[in-house]
Amino acid sequence: MALEKGLRLGTMTLEALKSSGGLDAALKGFERFYLGPEFCENLIDASVCGEAAWLQGRGKKICLLTPLISEKGAGLLDKVFKKLLKSVESGKIDPAGLEVTVNDFGAIELAKRNRLPFRLNAGRLLRDNVFDDTGRAVTVHNGLALKFFRELGITRFELSTLGIRPDVNFAKGAAFGFDRRDFSLTLYYPYLNLTTTRTCLVGMRDVPPEESVRGVDCARECVISSFELAHPSIKEKLLIRGNTVFLKFPDKFYASEKGLARMNVDRLVYAPFP
Amino acid sequence: MKIVSCFSSLKELAPLAEAGADEFYTAVEGLPAFSVGFLPDRDLAPAIKKAHALGKKIALAVNAIHAPATDKRLAAIEKRIRALDKLGMDAFIISNPYLLALFSGRGKRLRAELHLSSVQPVFNSLGAAFFTRFGVSRLILPNQLSPHEARKILALCGAKGIETEIFDYRFFGCAYINGRCHMHKPDHYTLKSAILEGNLCRINAKPGGLVKLGTLDLPGRAKELPALVNRLENRFTCGGSPRLSNAAAFFDFFISGAHYLKYGTRHDRPEVKVKKVGELRAMLSLAEKLSGSMPKAEARRAFVKELSRWNGGGF
Repeated sequence: MALEKGLRLGTMTLEALKSSGGLDAALKGFERFYLGPEFCENLIDASVCGEAAWLQGRGKKICLLTPLISEKGAGLLDKVFKKLLKSVESGKIDPAGLEVTVNDFGAIELAKRNRLPFRLNAGRLLRDNVFDDTGRAVTVHNGLALKFFRELGITRFELSTLGIRPDVNFAKGAAFGFDRRDFSLTLYYPYLNLTTTRTCLVGMRDVPPEESVRGVDCARECVISSFELAHPSIKEKLLIRGNTVFLKFPDKFYASEKGLARMNVDRLVYAPFP
Repeated sequence: MKIVSCFSSLKELAPLAEAGADEFYTAVEGLPAFSVGFLPDRDLAPAIKKAHALGKKIALAVNAIHAPATDKRLAAIEKRIRALDKLGMDAFIISNPYLLALFSGRGKRLRAELHLSSVQPVFNSLGAAFFTRFGVSRLILPNQLSPHEARKILALCGAKGIETEIFDYRFFGCAYINGRCHMHKPDHYTLKSAILEGNLCRINAKPGGLVKLGTLDLPGRAKELPALVNRLENRFTCGGSPRLSNAAAFFDFFISGAHYLKYGTRHDRPEVKVKKVGELRAMLSLAEKLSGSMPKAEARRAFVKELSRWNGGGF
């Protein structure tokens, strides 16, 4: 099983990557580019379709990340999906080289309604529906959890590195009602998304008692910075970018690609930023 | 709007009903449930009888998003739930979709209702439509959703005859999204020392003592430092409801026709539970009285003014 290597750009645009001088190295080093916001609907932008087409033109595969969505995000995502469909119709995008990662069941519904011709993946915010990655293990709850997603056309799941080589229950799949060949994993490193809120520290100011908000305000703080937090009760530093808190696991967490295969990981995604 | 109250002891049922609870829910250790505060498993059957004797419905939370089970264990879970269904449990609150699928569909359907837990948060009408296909009869909305954002969800639920439920913003409200959070326990980080209830969210920090942030280097926003410090502390101490939930948000949900108001802190002491349900009843009565006696905008203003004077209930 060949290991595919991907790059998650996060809040960085291709233009910014180019300006930083990193684009050539990225094009050389990675086969797949992860574009679009993974955690926040305020960053959904249809311009990602142009980036996807440009990268496909250079032989790269694409995974479009989509976040948790409210009604507002659903509207924005609908525009992105429709633009992608147009790009497919006009031949600018090859559907076989583009996947969509969903982090909201509403996004799955939207993808189905739009009859997207792309393979869907379950993102890191949906991982708990199928996997338990607490502690030192990654285990599948039960084969029925995989079946639920398989019936939606989803067999790839995205997880974060835990900073260790975790124990897995994949070899005991028969007892849990699944076959390890039924799914594959994408592993992000070096940041693990610990938790997510909807309201950012700076962008969303306090709401007075008489005000009922229309949605989540945004100052786009995540585009330019992350905060490092030294929690009095935690040894590790926490990183806050936008609405999500991360932990960083900088150490190498696998000895060989064979070891990753034993964990059903056939794709590694490097995220330069949390 | 009706009140749903948690309970974790048989003795709590009658006082909670007297305080104003219209429905009850609980959880047991033997079945996968979110959070802490369990009714002893042996008391479940008597609880069904007692709730019904009081003229109330009762639901069981089987709402852990992590529901690991071998096929053997899953068969035991299913057998237990179907037995409770026969005993008269009125509803099961579920979050993991595979459990939802296990009890919906032809030949698998329970007699009892299925409620979608807020631990499987639905923030849009597309997600609501997705889950209604699994026979969900009630949607428990996450508390990080504003009434304005929930309009299409409420409309969809109204059209399909699906009930909706919200939490009392005063007694529940983590800033993080339930079912998507790994902050509670040190599964991925290392604690310097033991913390209250082994739970990071309940870190025993005094307000104002946790965040050491001296300046806010944002153009024109330096005065916001105290509010930002407060927000940061709330995020890491379970210190208050998220900023989307407040008195106005409750009133707007109330006027929009949300069906149920929930109090769900199962680990509260019995006397605290009774007092909090009394607070829910008082807030609901106020909303009913004001909305029934004056125009909507005026009632909303009066309601918010009154709730702004609420002293926290001394909890």
